[in-house]
Amino acid sequence: MSSRWTSEALTDRLFPAARPAPFGRAQKRPRGARVPVIVVTGFLGAGKTTLVKRFLASPEGTGTAVIVNEFGEIGIDDALLRGATDKTVLLGNGCLCCASRSDLETTLQELLADARLGRVPSMARVLIETSGLADPLPILQSFVSDRGIGREMAVDLVLAVVDAVDGAAMLAVAPEARRQVALADRVVVSKRDLADTDAENAVRAAIAAINPQAEIVVAQGGEIPASAWAASELPRSDFLASGALHSEGVSSFVLPFPRPVAWPAFAQAIDALVALRGADILRMKGLVAVEGLAGPLVVQVVRHLVHPPVELTDWPDGDRAGRLVVIGRGLERDRVAAVFDALLAL
Amino acid sequence: MTVMPRTDIPVARNFKLLSHHELDGFGGIGEGMSISLTKDGRRILWLAHESAPKNFTGVDVTDPKHPKMVVQTALPQPYMRSNSLEVCGDILAVAYQCKEKGQTPAGMELFDISVPESPRSIAFFDASGPHSRGVHQLWFCDGEYVHMAAGAADFESHYKGDDQFYRIIDVRNPSKPHEVGRWWMPGTRVGDSVPPPERLPGKHAGCRAHNTNVYPDRPDRAYVCYVDGGMFILDISDKANPKPVGHWANSPPYHGFMHTAVPLFDRGLMIVTDESTSDAAADWPKLIWVLDIRDESRPVPISTLPLPPVEAFANRGGRYGSHNIHENTPHPTSWKSDTIVLGTFYSAGVRAFDISNPYQPQEVGYYIPETPAGSPKGAIQLNDVFVDERGIVYTVDRFVGGLYVLEMDF
Repeated sequence: MSSRWTSEALTDRLFPAARPAPFGRAQKRPRGARVPVIVVTGFLGAGKTTLVKRFLASPEGTGTAVIVNEFGEIGIDDALLRGATDKTVLLGNGCLCCASRSDLETTLQELLADARLGRVPSMARVLIETSGLADPLPILQSFVSDRGIGREMAVDLVLAVVDAVDGAAMLAVAPEARRQVALADRVVVSKRDLADTDAENAVRAAIAAINPQAEIVVAQGGEIPASAWAASELPRSDFLASGALHSEGVSSFVLPFPRPVAWPAFAQAIDALVALRGADILRMKGLVAVEGLAGPLVVQVVRHLVHPPVELTDWPDGDRAGRLVVIGRGLERDRVAAVFDALLAL
Repeated sequence: MTVMPRTDIPVARNFKLLSHHELDGFGGIGEGMSISLTKDGRRILWLAHESAPKNFTGVDVTDPKHPKMVVQTALPQPYMRSNSLEVCGDILAVAYQCKEKGQTPAGMELFDISVPESPRSIAFFDASGPHSRGVHQLWFCDGEYVHMAAGAADFESHYKGDDQFYRIIDVRNPSKPHEVGRWWMPGTRVGDSVPPPERLPGKHAGCRAHNTNVYPDRPDRAYVCYVDGGMFILDISDKANPKPVGHWANSPPYHGFMHTAVPLFDRGLMIVTDESTSDAAADWPKLIWVLDIRDESRPVPISTLPLPPVEAFANRGGRYGSHNIHENTPHPTSWKSDTIVLGTFYSAGVRAFDISNPYQPQEVGYYIPETPAGSPKGAIQLNDVFVDERGIVYTVDRFVGGLYVLEMDF
C-alpha cells in the first residue's frame, strides 16, 4: 500500500509489525499521543473570556495551559505567578497561562519543554484564546504538519463563541466573525439570558447557514456543559447538508464514502484538490475506510497542508461509513464529489 | 532566571495514575515483577525487593485502583537480596544473591503460591560457592526451565565482576531443580584457553550475565546481556551446549552494563538496554537501543529511544538513565507489543516510546512520580516496569516509593 504524506510505508515493509502499520501505529483517537489543543475563537465581546475562565475553574479544566493573545483579558490579577518566566503564569487552580508572544509555535515549544522537564505542572491540554478579530485559520495551519508543533500537539476542538443579542447582525456584517464560525467544530451561543427567543433563533439560523455541521451549544449563565469542551466529533455520514454557497462563497458539506476506498486513488483526489484549490480549502476533515487497512483513517487538510493520515484502532462511533467534511470557499459539493468519483472509479 | 524543575508533584503525559501503594514502608523494589491468577479469580502482582530485609511482596491488583497487599516475606540474612523473580502457573521462582562471595544461602528458591497469602517453599537450588554470590536474575516462562544469571560452586572467574554466567535449570520436577546447561563468555573463567575479555577503561563492572530471555517464538534461542561484554544471541537447541550465534557490543566507547535484550520476532528487531549505575548520570549516556536483527549473526543498531536532556535530570538526585523495560514476557498475564516500548529511567520516571518507525522512535508518554517521602536520593528512582495483558502499567521505586499503578492513554 502506498502511504502518501508519510515515510512509514517502506520501514513497515522492512520491519513489519504484527498489525500492518503503513501509517504508523494505529491510534485510539485522531490526536494519537499528541497534546490536545482547544482553539476558542469569537468576535469582540462575544464572551470568550468568561467561558474560558469558567472552564479553568471547573474540574475538567484542571491542567489546562492557556495561551492568550492579549495579556490582561484572562484575569491575571488573581493568578499565582510561579517560576519567574516572563510569560508562564500558574493560575490558582493549577492552570497555566501564557501571554502569546509574536510566534505561537515558539510559545508552544517552550511550554512543551517546560512541561517535559517538570518546570510547570503536567499539561492535560492547551487552550488558545484568539483575539476577537483573529482569523483562526493560521493557527490551525500551525498544527497541520508532521514537523514542528504538529508532531507534538493536535487541535481537538475549534470552539466559536457568538452572542445571542447581536450575533446574527455581527455575522451579517463582519467577515472575520463568519470565518470564525465557518471553521468551528462547535459554536457556543452566549448571553442567551440577555436575548429573546427571536434573537436566539436568528443567531442559530445565521450559524447554520455558514456551518450546518457545527453543533450549537447554548451557554447558561456563562457556562456550557463539560461535554462541550470534549474533542469534536465528525458529523454522521448521512448528514444532509445543502452544500450551497453562502455569502463570500463559503460552503460546507459532507461527502459520504460508504465503502472502503483504494488509498492511492483517494490520495490522488486529495492531492488534485489541494493543488488546484488549496487556497480555497478552509478545512477538510474526515474518516475513511481504506482497502487493506484494519482501522479507519483520519484525513485532515487545512488549505494547502495535508496532515499525515492517522489510522485509528476502531471507528469512534457506531457509524462505520466513511465521510469527509469540506469547508471551503467557492467549492461546490457536486464538483468536489466528482473529483473523488472519477479517481476512485479508475 | 533558571526555572527549577518541580519534583514535589508528579509530571505526566499520556499516563494516568490509578493508585499508589507504599508496600507498608518497604517500598524499595528490584527488578522482579510478575502476575499470577488465583483459582478464585484474583490477580496477584509479585514484586522482588531490591534489598534486605524483605524478600518478596504479593499485591492483589484485581482492581488496579485499589491494590491490596496480601503477603510480604523476609529474607533470612541481611546481606541477601532477592532482586529477581518470576511466576509460572502456581510456582514462584526467586533469585537470591549475597553481598560477598562464599556467603549463603545463595541460589534460587521455588514456592508454591496457589494460596498467595501463604507461599510454601518447594525447593532450593544452591548456587553458592567460594567464588559465587548466587543468582542475580532469572527467567521462568515455560514451566520447565529457569534461565538465570548465576554463579556456581565450581566456577571461578579471573575478575571479580565476571562471576555470574548463563545457567539453564530443569525444574520440570520442581522439587528437584538441576542444571542442564551453561555458557559463559570465553576467557572469563579461570582455566579458559583464551585470555579474559579486555576491561573497559574507567569504571568497569565485569563481563557477566544479566538478563537471560527465552521466548516460545524461538525456543532454541536465548537472548543474554552480558554487562560489559555486550549482548549475545545463543543457540540453545542443545541445552547442554549453548553456542553463540550473534553478538553486539557498544563499549567502549560507551560505558558498558548491557542489561536486557528483548527481540521483536515478527519485525526482525531487538530492543537492548544499558543500565545506568552511577548517581548524577556520571555514566551518561546509558541508552535503549533499537537493533536490526533480521540477520541474527549481524545485529545492527539503527536508533536509540529519545530521552530528555541529561542536564535536566542528572542532578535531581540518584540515577538518571536507562534500566529496565517491559519485556513482552510470554505469560498470559503479560502485555505484548512490538510497536510500544516502556522503560524506567530512575529520576526521569517511566517513559513510553512508539517504535512503529524504528528509525525514528517517538516518545508518546511519561510519568514521573513526585519524590517519595523519605527518599534517600531526593528524587524518584523508578527501577522496573511491567504491563499486564489489560494494559495496566505497574512501576516501582528502587528505594522507598513502592508501587505505582498507571493507565496508558496513548
